[in-house]
Amino acid sequence: MKRGSLSVVSTLAWRNLWRNHRRTLIMLLAIAIGVWAMIFMAALMRGMTDEMMRNGLNNLPGEVQIHQANYRDDPSVANSMAPPAGELARELARPPVAAWAARVRVPAVVASERDSRGVTLLGVDPASERAIGSLPGDIQEGRFLEDEHDRGLVIGRKLASRLETALGKRVVLMSQDPQNDIADRGVRVVGIYRARLEGTEDQFVYAGRAAVQEMLGIGDRVSEVAVTAHDYRAVDRWYPQLAAAVGQGLEVAPWTELDSFLASYLSVQDGFSLVFMVVVFLVLSFGLVNTLAMAVFERVREIGLMQALGMPPSLILGQLLLESLYLLGLGLALGNLLALASIRPLESGIDISAVAQGMEMMGMGTTLYPALALTDMAMSTAVVIVLGLLASLLPAWRAARLEPVTALNTTM
Amino acid sequence: MWKSVLALGLMLCATLGRGEDLTADEIIRKAMDHYRGQTSNAEMSMLIHRPDWQREMSMHAWTEGDKRTLVRVTAPAKDAGNGTLSVDGNMWTYSPKINRVVKVPSSMMSQNWMGSDFSNKDVSKDTDIIDQYDHELVGQYEEQGHQVYVIQSIPHEEAAVVWGKEVLHIRDDWVMLQQQFWDQEDRLVKTLRALEIKEMDGRNVASVIRMGKEEAPEEWTEVRTLQVDFDVDQPENLFTLSNLRNPRE
Repeated sequence: MKRGSLSVVSTLAWRNLWRNHRRTLIMLLAIAIGVWAMIFMAALMRGMTDEMMRNGLNNLPGEVQIHQANYRDDPSVANSMAPPAGELARELARPPVAAWAARVRVPAVVASERDSRGVTLLGVDPASERAIGSLPGDIQEGRFLEDEHDRGLVIGRKLASRLETALGKRVVLMSQDPQNDIADRGVRVVGIYRARLEGTEDQFVYAGRAAVQEMLGIGDRVSEVAVTAHDYRAVDRWYPQLAAAVGQGLEVAPWTELDSFLASYLSVQDGFSLVFMVVVFLVLSFGLVNTLAMAVFERVREIGLMQALGMPPSLILGQLLLESLYLLGLGLALGNLLALASIRPLESGIDISAVAQGMEMMGMGTTLYPALALTDMAMSTAVVIVLGLLASLLPAWRAARLEPVTALNTTM
Repeated sequence: MWKSVLALGLMLCATLGRGEDLTADEIIRKAMDHYRGQTSNAEMSMLIHRPDWQREMSMHAWTEGDKRTLVRVTAPAKDAGNGTLSVDGNMWTYSPKINRVVKVPSSMMSQNWMGSDFSNKDVSKDTDIIDQYDHELVGQYEEQGHQVYVIQSIPHEEAAVVWGKEVLHIRDDWVMLQQQFWDQEDRLVKTLRALEIKEMDGRNVASVIRMGKEEAPEEWTEVRTLQVDFDVDQPENLFTLSNLRNPRE
């Protein structure tokens, strides 16, 4: 195919596209809206997944955790471990480990004058927790713990309202020591935090690590070490070296194992967007095939004439495919612009508090943050171009195979 | 709470001087000192009252000092044999139906004891008030020829106590007439009251006490001491898990 014939064909294709401009515009609109829907839905789904991942990893926290071997089966204080030392400490100090925190994490009960609730007590060292980003970001009242010797308690807003307690009041913290005897202490609520999930506010209470260790009588032992490298997708590359460094009786687990639901959800999500895009496109493709088939049907005589004048079938095929490519390209450009324009302003969050309770069950907050990813736009473009050309192949093929004499004698 | 009965009821007016110039600490300490080291053996009944139902249980209780208590339900038949043992603030229950001794975990210490208005904590740690609180004598009044001391007790900062304060009304014969539990906003939450004071086994005892929540006046639990013996000889193994499981008396 020569350069000259290609330019003739592309000009012909472009002009043919606008011969019936009303039909072309309608088709263009259909493709644009289809593309917009693909990208918009993908952004919403990605936003939901990101949110679940964020919440999930914050609650874990960390991408890798080290426990005493029995802790995950029975998270009691008896299954505690000595803080990292020796080879493990060296391993934790070098990259890719960005930060780590040793924490006491035991089931406990918080009692006020009116009620008592089962909670997860986290004895934390605020400085190292801040480094792994696991602390509640939003302290609604009061302050967070100052250091690991802080003798105050920070509870969630929901828990505070359930217990009918408030900032500055005393509550009783009860748990069990390693001998199964009751360990309890009165503590003052020094801060009330707000989390994105009510379930989190209800479950986690924070106290100074040293203060909790003293209450439980466990010396400097901890329940878990949370490690982060700030990239949850890369965890499989570096956690084995931690696993090699821990001593006997300890267990190292990546988040994919700690929360297998999150892990499988993440891997399902990308496939799911593709399936969704293909489904949307299948609906669109009927319109596309119809448009092209009509264009061919209307121009049977014209195509016959071109063939009679010596245009090879390949150019006719190419011309019709180009026509459809123009249409798809324009539709894609329009759809992508539409998606950008509609998602950008929504990225600060969509309030979905009306259905908050249902969303909480999925681990989501009351705000949905759509996340526009280049890969989603690229994927929808690829789906539309590839499937679009495939769909237009049939009418174009039929046009190219027309017999010039029969075609010229066709009466409309 | 059988101990509360004793703590409440504990009586001992005769032996101790009636001290107009006693401090709050001394009043409580003297009452408790007297009561410590005592052994007792009592028949009681407990009436749990709710707006639409009530039920009654009979029980037998043994105490030794303020750290050891054993209670066994004797009636009605479906509860008979249930036992609670409390030693040094820990608590175990036994139910013949499952033939198991279960240690009451810390998570259940603030739940109610056998469906009553007493919590497990009230039952196993009721003498904590002596050293977990700061006491102050805030008033006195006369009642039926007795001097009554009003003592306000404020828990220490880190005491495992949820109350903002407790107010005790103690008669000069050391019968506790009232124990009020106030929250940290100075609202009265619940009150333990002596409804009847009687001489039993040579001492004045609050023979009927009632625990009631201020917010729900129709819900209360009444404990009636039917018969009590003090300073009795008790076998060594009385307050043990094996005795909780296999009663030998």
